[in-house]
Amino acid sequence: MGNIEELINKLAQDTATVRPAPHPFMLSLKLTGWAMAYLVVALLFSGLRPDLAVKLHEPLFVAELAALAGIFITTSLSASLLSFPDIHQLRRLAFAPAIAFALFVLVMFLAWQTDNPPAPLPVHSFQCTLAITLVSLLPAAWMFYVMRKFASTHYHLAGCCALLFAFSIGAIWLRLYEVNNSIMHVIEWHYLPMIAFGITGLWLGKNVLKW
Amino acid sequence: MTDKTHHLETLMKQALNGDQRAYAEILQETARFLRPFLAKRLSFTNEPDDLLQEILLSIHKVRHTYDGNRPYKPWVYAIARFRLQDYLRTHYADQLHHADDISELENYLHENVTESVISYESISGEIGKLPQRQATILQLMHQEGYTAKEVAEKLGMNESAVKVAAHRAYKVLRQKLEK
Repeated sequence: MGNIEELINKLAQDTATVRPAPHPFMLSLKLTGWAMAYLVVALLFSGLRPDLAVKLHEPLFVAELAALAGIFITTSLSASLLSFPDIHQLRRLAFAPAIAFALFVLVMFLAWQTDNPPAPLPVHSFQCTLAITLVSLLPAAWMFYVMRKFASTHYHLAGCCALLFAFSIGAIWLRLYEVNNSIMHVIEWHYLPMIAFGITGLWLGKNVLKW
Repeated sequence: MTDKTHHLETLMKQALNGDQRAYAEILQETARFLRPFLAKRLSFTNEPDDLLQEILLSIHKVRHTYDGNRPYKPWVYAIARFRLQDYLRTHYADQLHHADDISELENYLHENVTESVISYESISGEIGKLPQRQATILQLMHQEGYTAKEVAEKLGMNESAVKVAAHRAYKVLRQKLEK
């Protein structure tokens, strides 16, 4: 009991004014804004796919990009919320990526169904995963750096959302850059690795975000 | 009740603005409502204050994640539950580790149960040569029939430490008596 009193007195002496962390919506907006800027810069360096104007008239391609953008936005929101010990008391919103993922799976399923006869597979394979990984490394490191300034009590999920957020940037970039119409290739070498990295985030979150 | 809850938010807001008195008061209030919460969940130990201290330190460390615009208690309980889970994880991992040690002991107990040349006197003599604390623990547990928990209370140790000390004493005794 005496120890508690002593500790409280000691802590109370630290009277420095504390600047509260930004609201998770603002944090998410900031993360999304920076990530968009990074994506634009990456596209400026790599260039856009030459057939992009034509592809943007294909509803399933647009739906795929929209679903990816959904994952990108919801994971940024969820990662921001999960950075707070009490999820900023907006627990339900933290599960928003689940809805985005369900929509994404639906879109991919429809794209796979309509891919008949299947578009020819490109000659490359793992290079796409590698390219996505390279583009995503910087946002991933930055996300973890930002999130470490907070105090997540759900560090597994927070890590998963952080990596999904970073890899969704890489995935969007590659879809806008690479001339590739094979949905099988995209699922196998773009999106399944992205999910695998999300799962890795569960482990990484535990090691990087634990406080 | 609402007024009191609102009071906590106001206090914390003042604390974040550098009000030393408000900060001391909110920490005291926090300790007051967390103590029964922890005592209920840590009935196996009589030291919930250790964890309470750790929680108060955590609150201090991450107070920037509270802005004073949402209820204070859910924020505190989220931190308290997080630290409690950590504590319980470590506690049960230790228990498991000690359980492994004790299972090793079973291997010795199967040997030479009926053909022993070891007498009660020789064991008592060897116990006397053990370090004071180990000897006391063995005497209390095996001559006076106390449980490890009761010995822990009697000697002001924790139960796991008693079990470990007893186990070490068994090992030493076994080595000596085998010679």
